[in-house]
Amino acid sequence: MSTFSVKTDISNNAAIITLEGNLDSSTAPQFHEAVQKVIPLNPQELVLDVEKLDFMASAGLRVIIFAKQKLGSSVKLILVKPQYQLLETLKMTGLLFSVTLVDHYPE
Amino acid sequence: MEASTKSQKFCANLDSLGPIREFLTDSAKLAGLDKSKTYKLCLAVDEIATNIINYGYLRSGVENGIIDITIQIADYQLIAKLEDTATPFNPFDRKMPNDEELSRPLEERQIGGLGIMLAKENVDEFNYKYQNGKNHNIFIMNL
Repeated sequence: MSTFSVKTDISNNAAIITLEGNLDSSTAPQFHEAVQKVIPLNPQELVLDVEKLDFMASAGLRVIIFAKQKLGSSVKLILVKPQYQLLETLKMTGLLFSVTLVDHYPE
Repeated sequence: MEASTKSQKFCANLDSLGPIREFLTDSAKLAGLDKSKTYKLCLAVDEIATNIINYGYLRSGVENGIIDITIQIADYQLIAKLEDTATPFNPFDRKMPNDEELSRPLEERQIGGLGIMLAKENVDEFNYKYQNGKNHNIFIMNL
C-alpha cells in the first residue's frame, strides 16, 4: 500500500488541502473526493499544501486539472512548497503555467 | 561493475504500485542511481504499470494478472523490464500532447494523455515490443 494522507481546511475564502506521502492511482481517489467536497463551497482560492508530498503520478495531475475545470478560471490555484521532482513534473506537463507557487500560506 | 539481474512478480492491482516503487528504489540504490533519476524511473514505471493494471488486464478480462519486473544492472545502465500478458498495448501508438496543448490553461485542457508522456520523457530510453504473447515495456537509465 502507498502511504498517503489528505486533510482539508477551510479558512475565509480559501480551501486548503494538505497532501502527504505518495499520490498515485491507488491514492488519487482520496484527493479527488476532497476536491469534490470543496467545489460546492465556491472557494476563491484552492491551496494545495504539497510540502510533504513525496511522489505524484499523472493520476494526481488529473485531479488538479479536474479541480481547475470545475472551479473556473477566476479561482486561484496555489501550491505550497512543491518538492523539486514535483516541480519538474509540473514543468514537463505545462501545469506550472496555471499555478501560483508560494513558500508559505498565508504568505 | 559486475552485471546483476533480479526479478519480482507483482499482482496487477493498484495496491502493487507502492511495492513496485520500493523494488525499483532498492535496485536503483544498489546501482548507484542518484535520487533525481531514481524518482524519474519510479514515475515512468508507475505510469505504465498503472496503464497495464487499469486498462490492459481489465480489457482482456483477466482478474489475476501479473506484472513481472526484471532489473538488470550492467554496462553503466540500469534496465527495468516490465512484462505482462494483457491485451497488446503499444504506448507509441498513443498521441502525445504537443507544446501548444501543454501551454493551454487547465480549463481548456483534456484531462488525459499525460501519463505516457511522463513515462517516455523521464527515462533515458523507453522501448516497447510485443513478443511471445507478452507486452514488454523497457526502461533504460544511464548510470
